[in-house]
Amino acid sequence: MSNSNPLLEVRGLSAAWDGVPVLRDIQFEIREGEVFVLLGPNGSGKTTLLRCLAGLETPTAGTVLLDGVDITARPPHQRGVVLMFQDPALFPHRTVYENIAYAPLLRHRPLREVQEEVGRLIELLHLTGFEDRRPNQLSGGELQRVALARTLAARPRLVLLDEPFASIDVELKGELRAEFRHVLRASGTSAIHVTHDREEGLFLGDRVGLLFDGRLQPPGPPSAVFGRPGTVRAARFLGYNVLAGSAGSVGVLPADLHLLPPGSAGLAATVLVAGPVGRENEVVLRTEDGQRLEMRTPASEPCPEAGRRVSLGWERSVDLDAE
Amino acid sequence: MKFRSEGLGFLLPVLAFVGLFALLPVTILFANAVLQQGGAAGFVSVFSAPHNVRSLQNSLEQGGLSAAFAVALGYPAGVFLGRYSFPGRSLLRSLILVPFLLPSLVVVFGVLDLFGPSGVISSALPATGWFGSGIPAIVAANLFFNVPIVLLLTATGCEGASVELEETVATLGGSPFQAYREVWARPTWVGAAAGGLLTFLFSALSFAPPLLLCGASARCYTLEAQVYSLDQTFLEPNAAAVLALGMVLLLLVPTAIYLALVSRLRANPGRRSGGLRPVNWHVPATWALGLETAFVLGAEAALLGAVLYRTVAPSGGFGAGAAWTALFSSSTTAHLGVSAVGALGNTLFFAIVAALLALLLSVASGYAVVRRPGRAVTLGLLLFVPLLLSPVVLAFALASFWRPFIGAGSNVWVLVIVSQSILALPFALQSLEIPLAGLSASARDTARTLGASSWGAFLDADLPRVRDGLVTVGLFAFAFGLGEFTATNFLVPPPLTTLPVALYALSEVRLAPVADAAAGLLLLLSLAVFAVIAVGGRRVEL
Repeated sequence: MSNSNPLLEVRGLSAAWDGVPVLRDIQFEIREGEVFVLLGPNGSGKTTLLRCLAGLETPTAGTVLLDGVDITARPPHQRGVVLMFQDPALFPHRTVYENIAYAPLLRHRPLREVQEEVGRLIELLHLTGFEDRRPNQLSGGELQRVALARTLAARPRLVLLDEPFASIDVELKGELRAEFRHVLRASGTSAIHVTHDREEGLFLGDRVGLLFDGRLQPPGPPSAVFGRPGTVRAARFLGYNVLAGSAGSVGVLPADLHLLPPGSAGLAATVLVAGPVGRENEVVLRTEDGQRLEMRTPASEPCPEAGRRVSLGWERSVDLDAE
Repeated sequence: MKFRSEGLGFLLPVLAFVGLFALLPVTILFANAVLQQGGAAGFVSVFSAPHNVRSLQNSLEQGGLSAAFAVALGYPAGVFLGRYSFPGRSLLRSLILVPFLLPSLVVVFGVLDLFGPSGVISSALPATGWFGSGIPAIVAANLFFNVPIVLLLTATGCEGASVELEETVATLGGSPFQAYREVWARPTWVGAAAGGLLTFLFSALSFAPPLLLCGASARCYTLEAQVYSLDQTFLEPNAAAVLALGMVLLLLVPTAIYLALVSRLRANPGRRSGGLRPVNWHVPATWALGLETAFVLGAEAALLGAVLYRTVAPSGGFGAGAAWTALFSSSTTAHLGVSAVGALGNTLFFAIVAALLALLLSVASGYAVVRRPGRAVTLGLLLFVPLLLSPVVLAFALASFWRPFIGAGSNVWVLVIVSQSILALPFALQSLEIPLAGLSASARDTARTLGASSWGAFLDADLPRVRDGLVTVGLFAFAFGLGEFTATNFLVPPPLTTLPVALYALSEVRLAPVADAAAGLLLLLSLAVFAVIAVGGRRVEL
């Protein structure tokens, strides 16, 4: 398999629920060893897209090619694509070891090879000592680690991760995220990771694609997607303030907005609410034409009080298209 | 601490009721009979009497055959109903329990109407007359009641299988068969096994089918029918009680296993019906399951249809009008000791009061368990005692214990109501378990902190959540009372005769057309109750 050929090609994929379009003409490619993040709000069609790729849903149009072979009509178990759900969905009656060994044993791999592989994954995912435990004896993070180990043990051509950290505590989420990133890259696994958490998406992806209302915006590296959101919708989702003017809309990040000295010419706004959040002050404002803005100021500076009229300036902005 | 005492307040009256009207009378009946019969030696002598040995063999044979066929017929249909969504599925899920609650005599009539000497099917296909009498007819009647049970419990198991897990197996490379083996074979077979055991229990203790489908002889009598016969025909109450004790001991293990299986089925975390998938007719296995389901439903519908058909075209060439007129005539009144209208009134009165009582008992005990789940095991054992006690044993014990206090005359109505409510209790409890489990302590606490009194919080936070469940349980218990024949037949004097008892009396004297009309009346009443349950989109659990 040459690296120049895409591992996965999705061409013109569309899907609908009861006649209502959920995915519209999706096109993208993934290269071997790449982690592709699908980022979008709830209800944007992310999970449906994964399910179509896994063969769990039938698209209404389009084709899916894996290693250049059309797999659109193949049943899930003959695709070589493993979907990992938000719910780890471990076999409750099997131990951690048995869960991880499930797929290799299903394929009748030699026992010795299975033992070695499972042992390696147990070590890689810090599950040593948990081999004989059953799922009901594990924490949320441990369950997800076992689910990933079980997925990797299947040696899939492609792993599909459907919001695997959505029900994990914030404290553990960061740690698990870093661990997943390391493991996926260390094992050279190609993956599509779906999330609505922009931080998570930008952190994990080699490339990121934004999905809104079933439409995929052109994917790119995280820095490019974040730095040039392109549309008003994407900018809002990525946390930009959107300032609409007669010449068009621009996006400004909250950290790039600052207060101008009183009397300076700038964007006039009124402080709605303000308060310290750790090392920063979070300030919510409304412009004279009714646009809502957020900005961050250092906590070392005085926090503007609610109701105060201020003048705003910014160093950086990006131009945005309406759609 | 407050919870504890509050829960106990709900629990004690229920335990006192079950104790006074089930445990105590049955214990005294058994103890007394064993002593009178000479202890263990008497026990052995009763169980070695040839007719009793035969009834034991009959119970095992009829129970075993019925259970095996019920699982074979009910499992595929249960999988189809529990796995696929299709138009009318919800209604079907509600209606499928109709056969289970139909009066046993109506079902017996249905078997005869289909396969009896002038049966609708046996007239056209004489070879099927084989199902019109003896063991085949009894098993056919048992299957009519019990296939829906296996079907429903299998469907419950199927709905409990985790959809995510099944899809995970598929994407990990497992074939559909491996997904079946790994994910949903277990819960569906737990359901089917529970259904099979319940079928065995009901069929081994069946009363009306062996009484009416085996000619005049006692050669097909089950233990249940034999206990009745020893007490009522041969006037050997002590031998009857000892035989009943043996019967209870024999069924102890299957009952315990059934309860364990059902609790395992209920504990399944994936239990929901959101994972249904549309029927994929491109897969041959789906066709097989669909056709089998259609066969089962068709057979159930055919039997009901035959009974309804006979109400407008009674057997023996009677006109429909003549049969209905005869049912309400003075000669029928003279034969029964009560008019048909009076029997209908008795039936409704007993069924309504017994339903209210069963509802009260099940709500109180269910609420006590919800407030303190640790009690579930103890309660389960106590409140499921009626499942172990057959209707004849319960009626026998109630009559022996309470008749000296209330006499054998019109006051017996109390015992009829008590027996009907106790027999309905295990099923009422099962049906209430799910709505009660959905009660939210936080909703109740929120109501309290917003200023509601304890009673107000119950009315505003708890009651709206269980209202549908309560209506279903009430209707279920009412339908149960409408069809209850065995215990009622044992207890009532002629003026308190109910429709099922009247139906038996009419069939005994070969008043077939009049009995057909009475069976139709009883069937229509039961169907009306289920129409209310089904229209409300409600569900009864087993």
